Amino acid sequence: MPADIRSFFGGKTNTPIREKESKKEEDSKKKRSKSRKIIDDSDDDEPAPPSKRATPKRAPPKNAVKKESPKGEETSTADYFAMSSKAKPKPAKSTPTKPKAVEPIESNGRSSARKKTTASYSQPKDDDDFAFLDDDEDAGDDIFAADVKKNGKHKDDAYVEVDSDDEPLPKPKKTSTKSKSVTNKKNEDVDMKEVGDDDFVVPDDSDDMMDIDKPVTKSGSKKRKSVDLESDEDKDDITPAAKSSKSKSAKQPPAKKPRAPKKNEPESSAVRAILDNIPTVRPPTPPPQDPDHKFDWRKAGAGGGNAGPPPAAGSKEIPVGEENCLVGLTFVFTGLLETLSREEGQELVKRYGGKVTGSPSSKTSFVVLGTDAGPSKLRKISDLKIKTINEDGLLALIRTMPANGGDGKAAEKNLEKKKAELEKIKKEAEEMEREEKSKALEAKKAEKERRRLAAEKGIAPPPPTIRQPDPSSQLWTSKYAPTSMNQICGNKGQVEKIQNWLKGWAKAHKYGFAMKGPEGLGGYRAIIVHGPPGIGKTTAAHLAAKLAGYDVLESNASDTRSKKMVESGLNEVLNNNSLLGYFAGDGKKVDEHKKKIVLIMDEVDGMSAGDRGGVGALAKVCKKTDIPLILICNDRKLPKMKPFDHVTLDVPFRRPTVEQVRSRIATICHREGLKLPPNVIDALIEGSNKDIRQIINMISTAKLDQTAMDFDKGKSMTKAWEKHVVLKPWDLCQKLLGGGMFAPASKATLNDKIELYFNDHEFSYLMVQENFLKTKPSLIGQLNGKEANLKALQLADQAAESISDGDLVDRMIHGSQQQWSLMPTHAVFSTVRPASYVAGLVQSQIAFTSWLGNNSKMNKLLRYVKEIQSHMRLRSSGDRHEIRQQYLPVLWTRMIKRLEMEGKDSVDEVIDLMDSYFLTKDDFDYMMELGLGPQDQENVRLETQTKSAFTRLYNARTHPLPFMKASNVVAPAKMTKEVPDLEEAMEEEDDEIAVEPKEEDDDETDLKKDKYIKQPKVKKQAAERKAAPRKASKTKAKNDDEDDEDDGSEDVKPKKAAKPRGRPAGAKGKGKK
Amino acid sequence: MALLVDKHRPRSLDQLTYHKDLSERLRSLAQSGDFPHLLVYGPSGAGKKTRIVATLKELYGPGVEKIKIDSRVFQTTSNRKLEFNIVASVYHLEITPSDVGNYDRVVVQDLLKEVAQTQQVDQSAKQRFKVVVINEADHLTRDAQAALRRTMEKYSPNLRLILLANSTANIIAPIRSRTLLVRVAAPTEGEICEALERSAGKEGWAVAKELNARIARESERNLRRALLMFEAVHAQNEKVSDKTPIPPPDWEALIGQVAKEMIEERSPARILQVRAKLYDLLTHCIPPTTILKTLTFKLIPQVDDALKAEVIKWSAFYEHRIRMGSKVIFHLEAFVAKFMRIVEEHLMNMDF
Repeated sequence: MPADIRSFFGGKTNTPIREKESKKEEDSKKKRSKSRKIIDDSDDDEPAPPSKRATPKRAPPKNAVKKESPKGEETSTADYFAMSSKAKPKPAKSTPTKPKAVEPIESNGRSSARKKTTASYSQPKDDDDFAFLDDDEDAGDDIFAADVKKNGKHKDDAYVEVDSDDEPLPKPKKTSTKSKSVTNKKNEDVDMKEVGDDDFVVPDDSDDMMDIDKPVTKSGSKKRKSVDLESDEDKDDITPAAKSSKSKSAKQPPAKKPRAPKKNEPESSAVRAILDNIPTVRPPTPPPQDPDHKFDWRKAGAGGGNAGPPPAAGSKEIPVGEENCLVGLTFVFTGLLETLSREEGQELVKRYGGKVTGSPSSKTSFVVLGTDAGPSKLRKISDLKIKTINEDGLLALIRTMPANGGDGKAAEKNLEKKKAELEKIKKEAEEMEREEKSKALEAKKAEKERRRLAAEKGIAPPPPTIRQPDPSSQLWTSKYAPTSMNQICGNKGQVEKIQNWLKGWAKAHKYGFAMKGPEGLGGYRAIIVHGPPGIGKTTAAHLAAKLAGYDVLESNASDTRSKKMVESGLNEVLNNNSLLGYFAGDGKKVDEHKKKIVLIMDEVDGMSAGDRGGVGALAKVCKKTDIPLILICNDRKLPKMKPFDHVTLDVPFRRPTVEQVRSRIATICHREGLKLPPNVIDALIEGSNKDIRQIINMISTAKLDQTAMDFDKGKSMTKAWEKHVVLKPWDLCQKLLGGGMFAPASKATLNDKIELYFNDHEFSYLMVQENFLKTKPSLIGQLNGKEANLKALQLADQAAESISDGDLVDRMIHGSQQQWSLMPTHAVFSTVRPASYVAGLVQSQIAFTSWLGNNSKMNKLLRYVKEIQSHMRLRSSGDRHEIRQQYLPVLWTRMIKRLEMEGKDSVDEVIDLMDSYFLTKDDFDYMMELGLGPQDQENVRLETQTKSAFTRLYNARTHPLPFMKASNVVAPAKMTKEVPDLEEAMEEEDDEIAVEPKEEDDDETDLKKDKYIKQPKVKKQAAERKAAPRKASKTKAKNDDEDDEDDGSEDVKPKKAAKPRGRPAGAKGKGKK
Repeated sequence: MALLVDKHRPRSLDQLTYHKDLSERLRSLAQSGDFPHLLVYGPSGAGKKTRIVATLKELYGPGVEKIKIDSRVFQTTSNRKLEFNIVASVYHLEITPSDVGNYDRVVVQDLLKEVAQTQQVDQSAKQRFKVVVINEADHLTRDAQAALRRTMEKYSPNLRLILLANSTANIIAPIRSRTLLVRVAAPTEGEICEALERSAGKEGWAVAKELNARIARESERNLRRALLMFEAVHAQNEKVSDKTPIPPPDWEALIGQVAKEMIEERSPARILQVRAKLYDLLTHCIPPTTILKTLTFKLIPQVDDALKAEVIKWSAFYEHRIRMGSKVIFHLEAFVAKFMRIVEEHLMNMDF
């Protein structure tokens, strides 16, 4: 109670003040808007549940009373405002019943209300008091009454404003519609009586009032704005209007039924009945907010877990509703619906003219609730008391709602809006035409003048110079390029910024760009405009330059802009003035102000390989240019745009909103005689991602063969025009495995799925293979426990088998046969078919394929094995598989395990073993890496001491090398010592080393490459050099002892630098010593 | 210090312990002066290479044992540089053309011609021809084998070929008809035990007969493997007895683990875990067919008898696919999925 009372008083106090203000200062819009806001707030409070409940019959009488008292004064208001509308209202009011009371409030009441309010605001109080006395029984009543009163007042305020606004505006239609609605309302009133439960009626009233207040005030204020500007702010007007209508509907949800009565139209009963009959759903109570709850980006990224396909997709038939039947209703989707995916549901609503917003607000008419609804949304729903329906409700709504939303209020509002919109569009179109005509006229005049001049001078009239291109032959994009600030769609602030910068440029230049100025505009010689394509960056730059009185020089990607060109080419330009400041064409006046030039560098990020150094040079130019420079690019964040970082002023352009684009497109359509319903335009805009240029091109194309377009056509057109985005492997995989493509309801054809594969045919199948086991297949259905597991295994097996089939096809494509025509087959086997089995919910992050990494790792390790094998080759006969599978495990235990267990004591022996197999230190590391399972590198714990001892000892000793591999040149750093004489040394070595007679011969017929020979020199230590001769002598002695067989080989040797051999020998010799 | 396998490798035909008649035949061939082209085939670890080396020694004397590795660079028609290692002595060359994969034809053509066109440099050599030993001849591509055909005839005065292969299946008929086929059968378990004992004797190790027999059995009559296992057992145990377990090689241990995981739990999530291990095996250069075979034989004892035939069937099926396809993991994984499905279905049926 107390709270209510508070609001009661507060509301009252507010309202009177407001009213006064509004009256006094009708001109000062700001204040009004403020007051309006306040009203809104109060409105929001008012609909609070208690008041609804209270709704006794008594309230209506109060209303009536209230209204009546104001009405007495109405006459004056009537005089004040448009006559037509008032005339009707009054009669309506005169009917004493409650319903009547409602009427006045809505339609006519507004005008009169203002005055009333001032005068009457005390009155209502009295009434209340009175009521209070009367109805002690129910306190709620009073409150309610108060509410009503308040509402009435607010309403009144709003209306006053509106009317006053309307007057200046030449909008006959609006008024007419209003009057119409009034009459309707009258009728409705009657209906209401008949139909309505009284209980409902009361709340209705309050709701209605509130609703009306808001929308009207808003639209009114806007209108005013538009008037001021005198230009058409249609867009803005429209959007608010739309909002207002929505807001209306939005309000209703708390008390659903009221909304129908609100409309007060004959059909409203029907609509109301429909709305009443829509099964509502009780939203689950939102879970308590957890303060510690952390935002999980992973979940959020996946659409909150609700992005998946609906569980029972396609099991319900989607009804075909009347056209635009959801007009004026706003929907919010939350949770996972039963049969519709989120996108499908939203598209459905849009198709029938409804609006979809992301989160529930007071303007939401319905929340379509699914399972797992977001907690924050649920909280909001319960806070705002929004009506919630489920999927069936939505379908029922579509099935039953009459065309154009019936004559429900929302629909009506919508109609009104549309009309106003149309009006503006027409006006704009006219203006455009006028402009065109005047241009043509001017051109003609100039031509005439020229001829006259020529005639005067006695010269034959020169042939008509460049003729103005015929507008009908122009591309629409240039034909309808904005010619004034208010024609620009979106980014107005940015364009103004550019304009201001240009205007202040001369001054800033004078101050050497030291004075930054309020927006920092004075500190830059150049600006960089960046944003996505098709939103009018170039156009805006040109327009701003034109408006600021600059002559434009443009350079774009079609010009070569290398460093040299930029430096030399631009320098010429930079010191120049425009010729237009000094000369003009025949018959035109020289414009003194036209000396200024602005250089527009378009598509700066298009400076590519051919424009080497261009970016840097341009950035340099930006630092010292004497004419303003506007750079334009799409992506400012590219690394190559870095040079512009502190040199230029960033002017980011954003995509315009749908509203900003809509009216412009509508104007063009009107002008060209193309009929596009607003929802089609919206679909086009959204479908093209707000690329204005593309939309204009699209309608231009459409105009060629049709004069109207419906929703489906528009959709298919945007689809056809869709910029072909190549999906990333992740998105591909997500779409295939988790996108519901294989749901029974999915309309995706086999070709669509194959197309996905071709988005990236090198990765798509690998990604599918990587991730196909990470889903919860929807084919499992309702099974659980063991059966589910079995089904999952069966599906996984089928998918895996299909992938295996796919690999065979892959082999035919990439193998020796090169049958590229099999690609679609591969697509089906490797990607589509497996996905068809396991598609469902993707349960973890889509991972990048590990095949590539593993493959390259395998190649690396394979190289290691080969290296090891080639080193061991002189000792062992196995091929590399045998080496890997049989030798390595044993060698591992004999080397690595031993080092691990026995520490540094074993180092010597290990190195001996390695030398006996000609293994290098690198091979040792390779062996570590090749360990697997129990011998995994991870599990090997070599003590650092052992390790360092091993390294030290290994480096200290010399090692035999059977040969040197070109790729390996770096590795044998140790061996550097020997010079030519070693050869002999090695032979003796061989004998010593090998117990067996397997000696290595150096008799290569071909000289080893120089690299081998050089090797020793690079790193030799002097000491070792000295050692060499000694060894040599020793070896010689031994040589003599050696068998005859060696002779042959020895003969050959001297020529070849048998370095490798030499080293081993040297090493051994050393070791011996 | 080398491992036993290499330390105790027989160096001449006399020292070979089994297939005595084969040794005799090789000796007479070598002494006949009319040495034919040979195609020596047999399972790995049977002693092919050892016999060849011994035969070469018989042909040329101890000079063949002075070998070195020569690194050569070949250029393919597409200007790709191939690095290729040749093991050579004055009298012979030993090459493994399969090292360069698909380019083996280039190597075979260039190298053999080069060798064949020069005569024996060493005038005192016992034979006028040089011998080229081609390892892994069954991995030669068709093209390379075709390139061999003509060379074998045209250059026979200067060149003899010895082809080494695991089986003759992949060798084209024209080559087979131009060579003398020599089959080196795997040693029997008894012969392996004998060899093990001899090695143990040379090393002064105690002999555990039971253990040796076990090793012989486990080695699948592969003498190389047997010797290495023998060495591994001794390396890991101070004292060996008949009961000493034989440590499996690392990869086999891992495959055992995979098999255990597959039996334990059957679910898509488990397939993912198994996939990781399979990748591990593959990247560490364990051939996919070996993996599949080992895995199958580890699985077989653990499944119901009714399933064994089917498991084998699918194993064979996917082994074939591994050879047909290019990305082996796909097929290994498909086998794992298939196995789990079969087992799971079987168990479910038993439940009902």
